[in-house]
Amino acid sequence: MHGAKMNPSTEPGDGASTDLAPPPRAFLRTLLQPHRHWLHLAWLAGAGAGLATVALAAAVAWSIHLALFGQGAAPAWPWLGAAVLAVLLRHGLQALRDWAGQQLAFAVRADLRQRLIATASRLGPVHLAHRGHSGSWASRYQEQVDALAGYYARYLPALGLTIAVPALLLAAAFSQDWVAGLLLLLSAPLIPVFMALIGMGSEQIHQAQQERQNRLAGHFLDRIRALDLLRRSLALEAAQRDVAEAADGYRRLSMRVLRVAFLSSAVMEFFSAVAIGLVAIYVGFALLGFLEFGPAGELTLFSGLFVLLLAPEYFQPLRQFAQSYHDRAGAIAVGAELSPLLQPPPDTGHPGAALRPASDPTLLRLHNVTVRYEPEIQPALCGVDLDISRGEQTAVVGPSGSGKSTLLALCAGFVQADSGSVAIGADARPFAWIGQRVHLFHGSLRENLLLGAPAHTPDPELRAAMAAAGLRPDDPTLPHGLDTPIGEDSRGLSGGQAQRVAFARALLSGSRLWLLDEPTSALDPQTEDDLLTRLLAHARAREITVLVATHHESVYRQLGRIVRLAEGRLQGDSHV
Amino acid sequence: MSDLSFLHRLFRRRRGWTALAYLLLALTWTAAIALLALSGWFITAAGLAGAGLLLGLDLFTPSAGIRAAALLRTLARYGERVVGHEAVLRVLADLRSASFTAIARLPLEAQRRMRSGDLQQRLIADIDTLDGVPLRITGPLAAAALAVLGAAALAGWLAPWPAPLLIAGAAGLTLAASVLAARAGQARSRALVERRARERVALLDYFGGLADLLAYRRTGPYRADLERREREQAGAVLLQERVALGADQAVQALVALSALAMLALALGWHEDGLVSAPVAVLLALMTLGLNEALSSLPGALWRSGESLQAASRLRRLGVAPTDASAAPVQSSARSGDLPADAAVKVEELAVGFAEHPPLAAGLAFVLEIGQPLVIHGASGRGKTTLLETLAGERPPLRGSVMLGGRRLEQWPEAVRYRAIGYLPQQTALLDDTVATNLRLGLPELPDQRLWEALETVELAAALRREGSGLAYRTGERGRRLSGGQARRLALARLLLREPPVVLLDEPFAGLDAPLERRILERITPWLEDRRVVLVTHAPDRLPAEWNRLAIAPGGQ
Repeated sequence: MHGAKMNPSTEPGDGASTDLAPPPRAFLRTLLQPHRHWLHLAWLAGAGAGLATVALAAAVAWSIHLALFGQGAAPAWPWLGAAVLAVLLRHGLQALRDWAGQQLAFAVRADLRQRLIATASRLGPVHLAHRGHSGSWASRYQEQVDALAGYYARYLPALGLTIAVPALLLAAAFSQDWVAGLLLLLSAPLIPVFMALIGMGSEQIHQAQQERQNRLAGHFLDRIRALDLLRRSLALEAAQRDVAEAADGYRRLSMRVLRVAFLSSAVMEFFSAVAIGLVAIYVGFALLGFLEFGPAGELTLFSGLFVLLLAPEYFQPLRQFAQSYHDRAGAIAVGAELSPLLQPPPDTGHPGAALRPASDPTLLRLHNVTVRYEPEIQPALCGVDLDISRGEQTAVVGPSGSGKSTLLALCAGFVQADSGSVAIGADARPFAWIGQRVHLFHGSLRENLLLGAPAHTPDPELRAAMAAAGLRPDDPTLPHGLDTPIGEDSRGLSGGQAQRVAFARALLSGSRLWLLDEPTSALDPQTEDDLLTRLLAHARAREITVLVATHHESVYRQLGRIVRLAEGRLQGDSHV
Repeated sequence: MSDLSFLHRLFRRRRGWTALAYLLLALTWTAAIALLALSGWFITAAGLAGAGLLLGLDLFTPSAGIRAAALLRTLARYGERVVGHEAVLRVLADLRSASFTAIARLPLEAQRRMRSGDLQQRLIADIDTLDGVPLRITGPLAAAALAVLGAAALAGWLAPWPAPLLIAGAAGLTLAASVLAARAGQARSRALVERRARERVALLDYFGGLADLLAYRRTGPYRADLERREREQAGAVLLQERVALGADQAVQALVALSALAMLALALGWHEDGLVSAPVAVLLALMTLGLNEALSSLPGALWRSGESLQAASRLRRLGVAPTDASAAPVQSSARSGDLPADAAVKVEELAVGFAEHPPLAAGLAFVLEIGQPLVIHGASGRGKTTLLETLAGERPPLRGSVMLGGRRLEQWPEAVRYRAIGYLPQQTALLDDTVATNLRLGLPELPDQRLWEALETVELAAALRREGSGLAYRTGERGRRLSGGQARRLALARLLLREPPVVLLDEPFAGLDAPLERRILERITPWLEDRRVVLVTHAPDRLPAEWNRLAIAPGGQ
């Protein structure tokens, strides 16, 4: 849209605004802020489940102790009953913990989706297109936002509980036998240390893999889209080898990432197994009376079993944390992409368009306006002065890249001026916009025509507008008349028909301003002539102000005023 | 072939890897159960021996057993993960190429129906979904069955019959609960997929039609619609998540309660003198140890539905689990002889979509070297359809197209495309470098030739200026080029192929008139050296001495 296309720096998005975006982690925290109560609930439930685990271990150990050493003085079954209650409580609370985590993830995702939608409408179509095409915006909304779920539903709850629950179990172990407690305590810190060592490498590889995965999916999709081309170029076999090679490369890279991840969890499991084994052997030897130091002499079967039952639970939160660790890396990658996208459009520090009263004969007034998309490249518009009167029909002409589209986008309010002033008549909103390839919405032809018109516009009026735009209601390609369904990519309609639908839509909307950005450049000259003649006649009859960007002579010969642009500057302004 | 056998055959190719992974998983779980059971046995025995109630306790065998089980569990787990993922990723790589091959073999019409972005996205997601099958479904099911059988056998050997029954009962209940949860989930997940596809359409409307929505001040209702969809979608997904997490905790509670029941039974048997105290504790802890194996079942069955659906969609696309046919997707470019004289003769040709009415009929002409044929006429009159028919991509409704004395459709595809170079109206580029795009089907071309072609279409200067030259990436659907630049790149590719017959559909679309004139001037000698059909809406811009053919409804 902006002239010099072969300029890679314009590709990823508005360079200027990315610097101001919060870093991904801060961004993820900001999203959490309004919903942290769910996280607190998850933590509380997790801690409660930890307590229930302690109670369960105590009840089981005590019932065994009583059965073997109680000599029938007290029955074991009340303690077994207590253990049943503890089981129910523990899993009930764990379910609550997971549920709260899900609630959190859903709340955050709903917020983020709303922000994506709101940001899109604030950016307007021009800046939106700078930040990716509509398909990638839809993927962001669906897949990328979903990819955050694990971070909020699992990683964050696990993060808090990694400290709290082991501390609780440690206190319980210490209360029975400080040596066993010490064994557990000493083995725990080793795990994060090892994991951190392994994790550092894995994060980088993870990013590389993410990129590779996206590229692989893109490569596969691209080759399927290009099947016709490959067939015609006799390159199908080469492409088939290509696809196989790319898939195999992806497998090798994935395995590298996965081996690191598996190694880190193996290290963690190894240490937890060693610690549990140490505790079991210590308890066994102490019970046998082989150990004389410290508390070992007083250890009972109850204490021994109790500590032994707690030992695996002690490592459980750490394991869960390790499992959810990759959720974090994934979320940071998504955060890094979404955070800059959700920044407001580059703030020009300049007020938007001022409104002019409807009584003023001038509908649009641009004074010394400059628009630049990026600081380092030359402005798209530079010091432009222009007055457009009500009912005037003006052609904006110039070679591609001269700023025609920007001038129209400015009048539409899709972009803001960096300097100078823009004043627009109050009656210039809403307006009609028709671009090179109009977008038709999923739905019926009728729904598309009614986009800008009152909902109860009667069918005869719709048919009249269609006829005015040169669409016959009995056209064989519109088998169901106004109820003809319109699919993805305007399926079922030719390019010319789609443009005609847009014109009928503009007529029905009753807009007083039409902004037309090369509306017929994709059509053949005959269709173009026919369409424009109709259009301008209707606009003239209704005294609608028309601004049309074009490089077709046949278009501007029909208009009363021609404004010429070159390299963003006004080169001429002639009334015919 | 059912979806299940499709999956089976798909993974059979790598059955060595998968079998090893299952075995390692069963080993992991057995070691985990043994670790818990042995520890409980050892401590109870030690407690009794310490109190003088048990004599002659062998200390070293059980403690060595505990250490061995701990080590084995870690190693087996690591091995299982590495081997299992290796197996799956190999299958996925196979599947990707098999899908591409299958789609490449589809008839042209079926391929074109796949243009919809939705279908393509679905294909990618489906292939990815299938990785769940061996790792998260079959593997856990098989390994859990092994672990449960082992534990039940041991319990039957050590204790009276209710012990193995209890273990089998716990496993059976878990399986039943998982199946129920999975059934509830499957019905919903189908609806979810559909809802998601509809949401995508609404999103494309919102992001793609934003200019119109803003112009007509209609963003409000569209946003409200998207928010409503999001609420419905989130509600349905949340419900699924709740069923899943509920099933997960229910299974864990079930196993814990079974362990308690085992403990109560075993303590009773101990009192009756049927089992020793250490064995009583061992039985209870062994039952608890089943948790690791059984708690993976709800998730596994939950996912089986998704994978079956993915498999059935791939199957409907014609993807075969194994690419049995050795036949190439396209006969090699070198095979078959080009007709010595690539004369093209069209007789009584009618083209279009339906016999009544055809788009154009009664066409007859002969293409001669040095006399390009210019076809013009209003849009929608079948110019493009005629070119497709001349390229052999659409059968003629009536009449015939002859190439070198034989009907076009009798030539092998490779010969046809070597003889005919077709530049369609829609510019197609690979998302790759300029060089890759130019060398498509002609891998040996030297850089020098590429630059010459780029000079001809006036792209060379821009590419040199840009810096990366031939390595410049064109972007998805040529997005890093302007429409005119993409068009010229496609034209350059055609020039490099040097076909004896050339079909051009609006070759200069998107170029301004002076540029069009300069390029035309440069390529006129090339065009006049072969047989050319050129479709245009602006015939007056082409040399007046070229033949003209105007297409009007029903005839020429």
